[in-house]
Amino acid sequence: MPRSILLSLLTYALLLAGIVTVQGEFLALALPIVGYLLVSYLQAPNEIKLEARRHLSVERASPNQHVDVTVIVTNHGSSLEEVQLEDILPSGLTVRSGLRRHMLKLAKGETYTLAYTVSGPRGGYVFEALEMRVNDHLAVRSSKVRVQAKGRLFVLPPVMRLRHIAIQPRRTRVYAGTIPARAGGSGTEFFGVREYQPGDSPHSINWRASARYTDTLYANEYQQDRVADVGIVLDGRLRTNEFGRGHSLFEYSVQAAASLADALLSQGNRVGLLLYASFLGWTFPGYGKIQRERILHALANAKTGESQVFSDLEHMPTRLFPPESQIVFVSPLVEDDLRPLVQLRAQGYGVLVISPNPIKFELSYLPTSNPTVDIAWRVIQMERLLLLQKLQRANIHVLDWDVTEPFDLLVKRRLGRSPAWLRTIGR
Amino acid sequence: MMTIIAFVLSILLGTASLARGYLQAGVTDYSRWFLLLAIFWLFAQYRKWYWFSSIALLITVFAAAYGVWREFPAVWMLLGALGGLLGWDLSDFARRLSYAAPMDDTRAMERRHLGRVGIVAALGVGLALVSLYVRINRLAFEVAVGLVLLAAIGLTRLVIGLRKY
Repeated sequence: MPRSILLSLLTYALLLAGIVTVQGEFLALALPIVGYLLVSYLQAPNEIKLEARRHLSVERASPNQHVDVTVIVTNHGSSLEEVQLEDILPSGLTVRSGLRRHMLKLAKGETYTLAYTVSGPRGGYVFEALEMRVNDHLAVRSSKVRVQAKGRLFVLPPVMRLRHIAIQPRRTRVYAGTIPARAGGSGTEFFGVREYQPGDSPHSINWRASARYTDTLYANEYQQDRVADVGIVLDGRLRTNEFGRGHSLFEYSVQAAASLADALLSQGNRVGLLLYASFLGWTFPGYGKIQRERILHALANAKTGESQVFSDLEHMPTRLFPPESQIVFVSPLVEDDLRPLVQLRAQGYGVLVISPNPIKFELSYLPTSNPTVDIAWRVIQMERLLLLQKLQRANIHVLDWDVTEPFDLLVKRRLGRSPAWLRTIGR
Repeated sequence: MMTIIAFVLSILLGTASLARGYLQAGVTDYSRWFLLLAIFWLFAQYRKWYWFSSIALLITVFAAAYGVWREFPAVWMLLGALGGLLGWDLSDFARRLSYAAPMDDTRAMERRHLGRVGIVAALGVGLALVSLYVRINRLAFEVAVGLVLLAAIGLTRLVIGLRKY
């Protein structure tokens, strides 16, 4: 019950008792309470006008990095005797140092600076407002105020620097890049020999072929390097990512998707991101640093989810990806994924599957001494190997990633460009 | 700390005054109950059962009102109700202080609050004592009714003003 109501009820009761019993002493009992109410009423602030400004030490942070939050509260109204102030923390963030609750007096025109440090896991966090309870001198009158102090913090997934990712989609874009375009022109990789044409550089003449066939000159042709359209599909389905006791592979998938997006964009490609979870989260394809930020923000907010519609890959919207472009599918994979992926390949897309190994991941926290676990592991491992072999037979490049190994090492080993001397001898 | 000391003193003032008044009137049974009330109130505060303060206020004020009705010594009853009121206020203030961070200037707040509560208590007791000892023997019925109405209207305005905030 509000304090003012309790006191006024008591006063009315005493007044009534005094009138009914015709005893003045009842009124005397009521007088301290009336005095209490009166003082509270007379000394209450006339106007509550508060303003708050928020400042974050960084707006983009890495997971569990400490971020300083500073909120400056200014009182533009009457002097406030007692203010209980609490900054509302977005769920997921943890206060590392300092306090976000205070009790203070705020005189007219005075400012108060509230500072604390937070950290949190990957995610997008929105700071909305401060909650304040303004009391009069005796807290009989109390009012709750929300003062807006907006702020945004993105805790982005960690990005590993990948030097080169060897992909070879059927179709490339017109701009020069690093992806072999399956077409002759100016480049670095040898592509073939053709008849010399006026305008060709004399340096391109293949003297050996020209000496053998004396009727005309022959010139070397190099494979054009261009940029490509790449669609990264991040599998956020609950059933593929989440395991018992709250263990999840999703963070690894997000990390892989972020690193791939960063590397592919820095190679000049046009990259889009599709989050395939309880809904479709589509980041429209684009180039450069702005696109990198867009994708990282989308990945910061990515969550696993369950949906009947998107429980398998049958509803993957292939029309989002340009024909014959490259699709990078990041998923731990389940048995049902084989058909849709083979279909994608059949439609002409270049498909690269990055698959964090769920069996090794799950085994890492199961008792290895248990013979049942050992047999189960072998059976499931065989099933997975079979699935991966079927994918590879469909000309889908699969990277089986044991998440205990750093992702950059795996990419360097499996997708990196081999040294020039090794390429010369055809390895 | 200051608040806690003042709170304990207020409870002692309230319950001891009521016990004394009831003892003077020869009602010994209830006096023990006031002692128990004081102990339980302190225990409730220690356990952070702040809701009990409102109940304790009601008990002390109604006990004082009952004493007044039975014509027990009015001064003790008045001090009993006042002790209850102060205890109730300081209990809530202690609750609000628990909200403060260690770096907040709570000592200054305590000093200011206790000063104001002290003034309110002195004013209330002063007015009450005046009302107890000053007797107006001849007052027309119409004037009495007018005063009662004025008090009721004034009180209503006060409560509305407090609620509007």
